[in-house]
Amino acid sequence: MITPLPIDVPAVPSPAAPGQPARSYWQQATARLRRNRIGVASGVVLLFFVLVALTSPLLAAIFTHTDPRSIDLLNTFLPPLSPHHILGTDDLGRDELTRMFYGAQVSMGIGFLAVGVSLTIGAGVGLVAGYYGGLIDGLLMRFVDIILAVPAIFLFILMSILFKPNTITLALIIASVGWGSIARLVRGEVLSVRTRDFMVATSSLGASDLRLILRHLLPNVLHVLIVFGSLYLGQVVLIEAALDFLGLGISPATPSWGNMLTNSETFFFHSSWLVIWPGLTIFITVLAANLFGNAIRDAFDPRLR
Amino acid sequence: MAAPLLELHDLKTQFFTPEGVVKAVDGVSLELHAGETLGIVGESGSGKSVTALSVMRLQRPGKIVGGEVRFKGRDLTKLSEVEMREIRGQEIAMIFQDPMTSLNPVFRTGWQVGEPVRLHQGWDKTRALGVAVSMLNKVGIPAPEKRARDYPHQFSGGMRQRAMIAMGLTTTPKVLIADEPTTALDVTIQAQILDLLRQVNREFGTATILITHNLGVVAGMCERVMVMYAGRIVESGPTVDVFAHPKHPYTWSLLRSIPRLDEERHEPLKPIEGLPPDLINLPSGCAFHPRCSFKMERCSRDVPALTRVGDTQFAACWVTQSGVELKGA
Repeated sequence: MITPLPIDVPAVPSPAAPGQPARSYWQQATARLRRNRIGVASGVVLLFFVLVALTSPLLAAIFTHTDPRSIDLLNTFLPPLSPHHILGTDDLGRDELTRMFYGAQVSMGIGFLAVGVSLTIGAGVGLVAGYYGGLIDGLLMRFVDIILAVPAIFLFILMSILFKPNTITLALIIASVGWGSIARLVRGEVLSVRTRDFMVATSSLGASDLRLILRHLLPNVLHVLIVFGSLYLGQVVLIEAALDFLGLGISPATPSWGNMLTNSETFFFHSSWLVIWPGLTIFITVLAANLFGNAIRDAFDPRLR
Repeated sequence: MAAPLLELHDLKTQFFTPEGVVKAVDGVSLELHAGETLGIVGESGSGKSVTALSVMRLQRPGKIVGGEVRFKGRDLTKLSEVEMREIRGQEIAMIFQDPMTSLNPVFRTGWQVGEPVRLHQGWDKTRALGVAVSMLNKVGIPAPEKRARDYPHQFSGGMRQRAMIAMGLTTTPKVLIADEPTTALDVTIQAQILDLLRQVNREFGTATILITHNLGVVAGMCERVMVMYAGRIVESGPTVDVFAHPKHPYTWSLLRSIPRLDEERHEPLKPIEGLPPDLINLPSGCAFHPRCSFKMERCSRDVPALTRVGDTQFAACWVTQSGVELKGA
């Protein structure tokens, strides 16, 4: 399981020569990831957006000296490369670059929060269902089936009406649908790991169910979570932008890449940059997330080796 | 004689499947005294492993439907799950058949070997690792400090089984259940592991239940042996006596089916005719009677109980209980 195929990665001697400290699965996987140039590049792109999100007020203070909400009705629809407004201004004279900085907060914040929450719930449900089996498994998995059977967009719309969307509630809304597929994947993996002898062997040492699940089972399904989580990030960013675009997402007062698109659709022929900046950014982010996810899968999924 | 350390009384474990109830263990009684080595032999599906797992209450999805497992005077079948966890790994340890899959692939071996003392003594990582390294040394793994940092896939089969034994012994349990510990290993490694088990038995005074289908292993390791067939014990007694004068036709046929070095060449092997019984629909009477060459009219009607036959042996057989000697063509 741990031994990489020689045709795939000729550089790795395996297993480690006696006398050398062993390379863990984690070390091998990250080494494989580092050799994937596209993967590393898209990882860097994602990291860039994360950094922008984390430092957006700082960036705004340094580069644009303005607030994303400060309206300047004398300078509306300034084209890109205008003085003080590198990416131009929108219909209310707000600086596009500043709004893009702050929009990253929404997209990345919701992205990581939704992925984190879905992974936690999905892994929990999948582990419990797979480990205990029987009635518990049946009930939990039928519940997942129901969630996955309802078109997600209806659930999003319903919940956006029920709960006033802000960054956190929107992330939770997206996560409340997203955990289902993860639970299924994790359960499937648990079913195969659970029957392996070391699970009985570990029970025979006197480990509790909780310890068995968290300490011994979880690390064996972690690769599923890592792979799915990284691929899911792109999807979440896209879902969030779509909800914003439909007016069901974040309130228009808070700039997000999605609602910047909504605002600008009417000016598409008049000032196309207002569509291009957020659209292109969303595209790049999602593409980077997907490519990075693929790279992660190639590096971490034991079956692809 | 002192009270036995572990005592099974009429233990019954069943699996409830859609096809019917599988009586995997059907009224097994046995005694294990401190420091002794008891062998349990039988073919696949005779209930050896389920008996062992039932002692640990790990027979899931099977259910213990009757009988007692007395350990130090307490009935393990009545204990709560929390109390049972204190027994597992601390008082009774278990070694499994396939060392290739019995270690968790994602953890370093030293960490795993230290798991029992972390669980039961609440020791921290460093202290547990210290015990693990010294145990790995005791079971004959060279450069244990280095090897403790290795992952299971870097160990050979024999070394993994040594690591499993080391893990079982970190808490110095009273009873060690070895479920076919050498089946998955090649013959030279088998001998090494058996030597190790003997040494463990001497040094730690651990009573051992050795489950195997290899009669040679039993002959070399165990003072007493029990033969299982279709979930029941059909014969028990001192290994020497059972092997020299089997009192159950099944044991007799098993021993006869072993190829011998001192026999005429071209002698065909003598297998036991027929197939092991279906555990859902056991034959009436003695479960072995359809395959038995000594069967009497009573055998298909009444179930024989394990009764003293001869000076030291017990057998569940109407034929030998009626005084007939087992002799074959």
